[in-house]
Amino acid sequence: MRQRLLPAAEPVPNLAPMVDVIMVLLVFFLLGTSLDLAQQGILRTELDPRSGPGGGQRVEINPLIRIALGDVDDGRSASIHVMEYALPAGDFQQLFVYLRDRREAGADPENPVVIGAETTVRWEFVVRAMDAAVRAGFKNVQFAVSFRPGSVPGPP
Amino acid sequence: MTLNLAPMVDVMMCLIIFFLLASKMVAAERYPVDLPWALAARQVEAGDLGQRVTITVRRAHDTDEVAEYVVVDWDGRQIVERVLQPGEVEALLAARAARATRENQTLRCVIRADRRVMYRHVEHVLRGCGLAKIRDIVFSVNEGSPPEKPG
Repeated sequence: MRQRLLPAAEPVPNLAPMVDVIMVLLVFFLLGTSLDLAQQGILRTELDPRSGPGGGQRVEINPLIRIALGDVDDGRSASIHVMEYALPAGDFQQLFVYLRDRREAGADPENPVVIGAETTVRWEFVVRAMDAAVRAGFKNVQFAVSFRPGSVPGPP
Repeated sequence: MTLNLAPMVDVMMCLIIFFLLASKMVAAERYPVDLPWALAARQVEAGDLGQRVTITVRRAHDTDEVAEYVVVDWDGRQIVERVLQPGEVEALLAARAARATRENQTLRCVIRADRRVMYRHVEHVLRGCGLAKIRDIVFSVNEGSPPEKPG
């Protein structure tokens, strides 16, 4: 009598330990990514949709408030002019008080505040001016950007 | 009865690769820069930034006069840090904006500038955004007021 042999069963690898390891890695990367992002702070702005060199007619932007920063003492400080009114150099708290008073006097928070700075002003002073405007409640803070390098508006 | 875990492993491997790349991208985007401080800064959540191009403006040659522009990019094999010449910034922003428009997405520009660089270097990026019609700009800052200097 001929004997029939059953085909040998293929061994099935046990994937459970691998799944455990992958789960641990997954949780690690998931948490690592989100924690890393959460440490950063931001300030936001939107460029005016009419900005850009363009070929069409020039558009005059009439901001409610214009802030102009100038370089003082070789970058150690910045002069502050707000609507042609000079504030003590580097005193961004005064700028905040001025802007807050404007808001409390009824200025619309949606009206644009435009910050212009000399090209040599340190970035931190520009951010502090923006910070003062945002803290005072203005939501639409913009930057005067020259499309011809070297012709950035500075203090009057 | 044995559960077939193979599809689950496949999915988890994909997720691992995604988070591995994402965490590397985030780490590269967070190249240490002496950011300015702002009291009005708000915390970033992962969903806030969305589709973005991050440009780091950092001091070069140990002086405030010169800056270099760094972007995180994919070179086909790995995530790399690319240092751009000023003239390349506008081209990069225009290319990214065009791609976002093709994909019907809104692109945001995240600017991480060293607090000591001159405004003209940041303005250069803002000008590039204006030319590329990228309207939504985010500045990376440290939250709070700057630490008191000793003495």
